[in-house]
Amino acid sequence: MIAFNRFKLDNGLTVIHHLDPTTPIAVVNVLYDVGARDESENRTGFAHLFEHLMFGGSVNIPDFDAPLQFAGGESNAFTSNDITNYYDTLPVQNIETALWLESDRMLSLAFTPKSLEVQRNVVIEEFKQRYLNQPYGDVWLELRPLAYREHPYKWATIGKEIRHIEEAEMEDVKAFFKAHYHPANAILCIAGNISLEKTTELVNKWFGDIPASLKPDRMLPREPQQTEYREKTIERAVPNDAFYYAFKMPERRSFEYYVADIISDALGREKSSRLYGKLKKELKLVTSINAYISGSMDEGLLVIEGKLSNGVTFEQMETALWETLGELNANPLSDEEAARLLIKIRTAKEFQEQGLLNRAMNLCIYELLGDANGVNEENALYQSVTAKQIQELGKTMLRKENCSVLRVKAIQA
Amino acid sequence: MMQRHTQPAVLPVEHIDFVKPHIFDVTEEVRLLWMKDVPNDTVRLDLFFDAGIVRGNKSIPAIVHSLLFSGTAIKSSVEIHESIDTLGGFLDTDLSFETAVVSIYCLRENLDKIALLVGDAINGLAFRESEVEDTLRSMGQKFHENQQKVRNVGQQQFRKLLFESHEDYSTLAEAADFDEVNYQSMKRYFKDHYLNGLTRITLVGNVEQDSVDALIDLFGKWAMDHKPTFGKSFETTHKKTHFPVEGAVQTAIRMGKMMFPKNHPDYIGFQFLNTILGDYFGSRLMSNIREDKGYTYGIGSVMMELHNDGYLVIVTEVGKDVTEATLAEIKLELKRLQEEPVSSEELELVRNYMLGQLLKSADGPYAMLDMYNSVDMYGIDLGFYDRAIAEIRAMQPERLQELAKTYLNWEDFLIVTAG
Repeated sequence: MIAFNRFKLDNGLTVIHHLDPTTPIAVVNVLYDVGARDESENRTGFAHLFEHLMFGGSVNIPDFDAPLQFAGGESNAFTSNDITNYYDTLPVQNIETALWLESDRMLSLAFTPKSLEVQRNVVIEEFKQRYLNQPYGDVWLELRPLAYREHPYKWATIGKEIRHIEEAEMEDVKAFFKAHYHPANAILCIAGNISLEKTTELVNKWFGDIPASLKPDRMLPREPQQTEYREKTIERAVPNDAFYYAFKMPERRSFEYYVADIISDALGREKSSRLYGKLKKELKLVTSINAYISGSMDEGLLVIEGKLSNGVTFEQMETALWETLGELNANPLSDEEAARLLIKIRTAKEFQEQGLLNRAMNLCIYELLGDANGVNEENALYQSVTAKQIQELGKTMLRKENCSVLRVKAIQA
Repeated sequence: MMQRHTQPAVLPVEHIDFVKPHIFDVTEEVRLLWMKDVPNDTVRLDLFFDAGIVRGNKSIPAIVHSLLFSGTAIKSSVEIHESIDTLGGFLDTDLSFETAVVSIYCLRENLDKIALLVGDAINGLAFRESEVEDTLRSMGQKFHENQQKVRNVGQQQFRKLLFESHEDYSTLAEAADFDEVNYQSMKRYFKDHYLNGLTRITLVGNVEQDSVDALIDLFGKWAMDHKPTFGKSFETTHKKTHFPVEGAVQTAIRMGKMMFPKNHPDYIGFQFLNTILGDYFGSRLMSNIREDKGYTYGIGSVMMELHNDGYLVIVTEVGKDVTEATLAEIKLELKRLQEEPVSSEELELVRNYMLGQLLKSADGPYAMLDMYNSVDMYGIDLGFYDRAIAEIRAMQPERLQELAKTYLNWEDFLIVTAG
């Protein structure tokens, strides 16, 4: 059970306070309700580029990191298709420095041309390092537009292409800030050995006078229901043939999201999972195979990925794959298998909640979903899933008409 | 009026609680370290073996390490994993230069049973032919994949050249290692380095004393009966070497030099210097090469610890066309540390930063056990951290400059580029 308090400032900022008297370290986590899905199609990669610029100095403070380091702390951030999340950890006695820094960059950035120029280059190198300069690195750049036709999930957080980042202009950056970086679009969590009174006082002091803006309406194109099996094969100079089966799955706020998560575990989370046992261990068709979910807010993906054993064809593997999926749809999970999946989920959650930073982030994410207390209800939701619900969702989800397949055919360089 | 231009007052870290684990002798050489005060139901058990990469020729250590849960005469690997998963256990294995570790994460109510399953799986490891073949297939593919990654090629070749004077430390995996394998040498290696190779056990978890006793009984029989020996006095003759990787759009740079072991009198002082150079986000290398030039997504310099020695390595991946420019900037940064005293502003920042990080590294039973372990492994006691605090507090620019002159001479560095 993660205990917390919640209040809202007049300017719309949601604040979550989580007391942990056992640690000398405090966490300040700021979640902005903006991700790559909020970009326009000819300006992709922007939410992520912007995350980099948030460290390039704010209106009253030339450098974000140095004062935080001087206070004994450090900071980082990540961007997904749905959110941008910033976090600071530092000795609790210096927490005010983090609030000073976070509030100033919520107020306004410095917008220096130098920062934009440098971070453009850094992000381009990141693009190369993660997506271009390693085998299979560009798979998601190919898979997303295959699985999504309309919804902005069709591009990756890093962007559709390097050109969009190269062409980013200061005007675009300023407009992006104005639309998405303001109190009503943020959730702040203060966690550590700090009282609610002190938290209220400090948050009001630093964030209270930031002008309010209206939370932007999110009007994303709805992804039309998929009705056909989609296949694409690309050739790359990689060592082995690889495959990616992406099935559309329910959105984050639905109960079926948890059911789909359990299905992905049953198929390919552990070495006791079905696909691993059948395709790798028994039939030796693959050298690796995994199943996981994208975890996205809107309609997401359940992905099965793996690599073929030498001499095995995509067709041979595919027959066995659909047979295994068919079995899951035809027969309900045994009590034993269900129990095995559920205890792993419970154990993983216990470990996750050990870390103060994890707790702070999860509180913010659940608040974004509608209620921070969801973090305390999540495990019960998983445990309540029945074999029948799994079978029913499997039947609608694990079908060819709901699937997009990307094959990477290995060729000589 | 709000003082948005001025940083709120900063208070230094005054005191850090370092907690010693409970220590039990498994044998004369092998001990169990136990951190008991955990405020929840989680448990981590780590088994350390004298089975690091340097313990066998080419890929034998990695192959045997991957086979630990591949089945006994009675149970297949899938059955073993099923039984551990049924108890909610997570297995993790880690193979580093001088040590191999098997870790179990679980809830405390399941520790005893999972430990028994792990004990049976390793004790009875049967090297089933189909399992061995399956593992080799996967490892062989992974090997070829890694050969296409500049960071991996750079790292491997750097290690090979840095440790060239010591065969065990410089041996590299080869494609042929995974084509066929000698069962006899695998079995011998397993017997020597696992069944008789346990060097320590660590446990974090609010469990009963009975459970601890049971772990000692169960795993104690694998205890190594002598102290392991490790390589020292490494020498390299290479200076700058390039390894081509076809189709690469970035170049990996790995440059470094041998330093000293953790008990060396300059160790803490040098950590201070290295933090300034490249071991935090605001470091000289990051500020210059990422934040000013935009040549890379990241650059860092790290001190790597060995039992009898240590080495420094600067790590980055940069755009192909700026490889030489990056090296020139690194050279410049080393020189600046030798020639210009560090400003008091930077000195105070790094001082506070390091104390804050130390406080964080000691936060909670898991972090504290790792911290204890990371000195105890090398025969050093917790006093190390009190000395570290004192040295960090007392650090002066002159000392840093002296250290830079002694240890950061460009000519002493081995430079490996891959791309």
